Amino acid sequence: MLTKRQNLVEVMKGGNPDRFVKQYEPFALMMKTPISRLKPPVGGTIVNEWGVTLSWPEGQLGSFPVHDEEHIVVKDITKWRDYVKAPKLDYPEEAWATAIAEANAVDRNDQYVTVFVAPGLFEHIHYLMSMEEALMAYYEEPEEMHALIDFLVDFELRLAKEFIDHLHPDAVFHHDDWGSQINSFISPAMFKEFFEPAYKKIYGYYKENGVELIVHHSDSYAANLVPSMIEMGIDIWQGVMNTNNIPELIKEYGDKITFMGGIHSGLVDFPDWTPEIVAEYVKKTCEENGKLYFIPSQTSGLPIDSFPGVYETINQEIDKMSEKMF
Amino acid sequence: MSKIAEVKAKVEAGKSKLVPGLVQEALDEGSTPSEILQAMVDSMGVVGDKFSSGEIFVPEMLIAAKAMSKGVEVLKPLMAGDGSASLGTCIIGTVAGDLHDIGKNLVSMMIESAGFDMVDLGVDVPADTFVQAVKDNANVKLVACSGLLTTTMPALKEAVQTIKAAYPEMKVIVGGAPVTPEYAVEVGADGYAPDAGSAAVKAKELATA
Repeated sequence: MLTKRQNLVEVMKGGNPDRFVKQYEPFALMMKTPISRLKPPVGGTIVNEWGVTLSWPEGQLGSFPVHDEEHIVVKDITKWRDYVKAPKLDYPEEAWATAIAEANAVDRNDQYVTVFVAPGLFEHIHYLMSMEEALMAYYEEPEEMHALIDFLVDFELRLAKEFIDHLHPDAVFHHDDWGSQINSFISPAMFKEFFEPAYKKIYGYYKENGVELIVHHSDSYAANLVPSMIEMGIDIWQGVMNTNNIPELIKEYGDKITFMGGIHSGLVDFPDWTPEIVAEYVKKTCEENGKLYFIPSQTSGLPIDSFPGVYETINQEIDKMSEKMF
Repeated sequence: MSKIAEVKAKVEAGKSKLVPGLVQEALDEGSTPSEILQAMVDSMGVVGDKFSSGEIFVPEMLIAAKAMSKGVEVLKPLMAGDGSASLGTCIIGTVAGDLHDIGKNLVSMMIESAGFDMVDLGVDVPADTFVQAVKDNANVKLVACSGLLTTTMPALKEAVQTIKAAYPEMKVIVGGAPVTPEYAVEVGADGYAPDAGSAAVKAKELATA
């Protein structure tokens, strides 16, 4: 039997996996580093390291940036340098002890030591200035937006260096939602201009420094951005929703990028979920998308569920499909 | 190209700095405020269709709507009290328990560009607040309810049914990622739209029916 890591490699190279990769199983996520981004607790509000006010109201499935007049960080894009200050990244060695111990405990033959980065550049910008203002600024103040992105890239490169120096990761799991369920937020041409070179630098840096695998999360439609994803160096697009034509994507791009998702979290992870509903969606995605260049997974961006039991039930159903199809 | 045609073209292209001047020039050329407004509404119709078909994306739609609103600012003092220019008032909000506002804001912008006066109740709006807003505002022709999560679908249903119970003739339109045309019918809504462009078309259709 192949290890989880070996099995993933077989899936990605179109070789001979002996079972489906079960969602996030090959990735040991390092979440307890001193430079991991702050998140508010459920029911709480925080101001994060960048000055963004984030609130996670009771009963919601995630946190939201607060974008009223008072809380918006970048009030004028032409003056972003006055508002945006990068947080510090230099922490004493002791602050890394927990993360280093966790990385050391991972059997790297079995799993990838995986560092986690969120939010990515696109999201970070609309956290700072609101979605509407950000999207208009790509047209109205392109030089300033390029400069702001360059500033964030510089921060991400320094962040990557810290991760690499301390944990020697095998993989990076990087979030940045680039679309709604029906389309990308911005056109492929705009995306290519603003984000492709930026991510190429970031992901290139990880790869030049021993990181084997780039896993990027965008739980959305983004089929039109796949050529850019490949150019950036993404190995796995996690979060691919079935509003993308996944079988077509696998056929066209499978030898260059692997697709992870197909099980829309909104359809399986809700208050009245049942194992039967989960089984139906897992079966469908495994049968439609096949054994190579595809990882059946919920689309949400972490190995957790909003309603207890869903994540594990998906795993059990993937096991059943592995028995049936391998 | 006539000035009014230029206004139309520049709204579509999202040239918000140029549109106010061109609107003024069109007025100087003899076009009436209503004609100019209609030209801009027509432009936004084209923008909405292009968005729905995937030809353009959110930024292009946003800058076009901004350009139109800059043009409307020039016309407003000239049209004050001219109710004939409006299709009526539309109340919009994201339903209780749901804090997503980006999609709702886009829909609001496009419905406004189609000629409605908008009353935006924001996010996490209880069903009774929609009803109160219908009561408090003049000439309400339409209520638009948004829900982005499968978990807030029951709140969407409650909103539609509460509005309909209080105002059986009121037109209600629904939308949001998990909403389907079938669900819209099931909860008793009059209309559904999958995106902001088609929401504006549907809103106009319902209000003028």
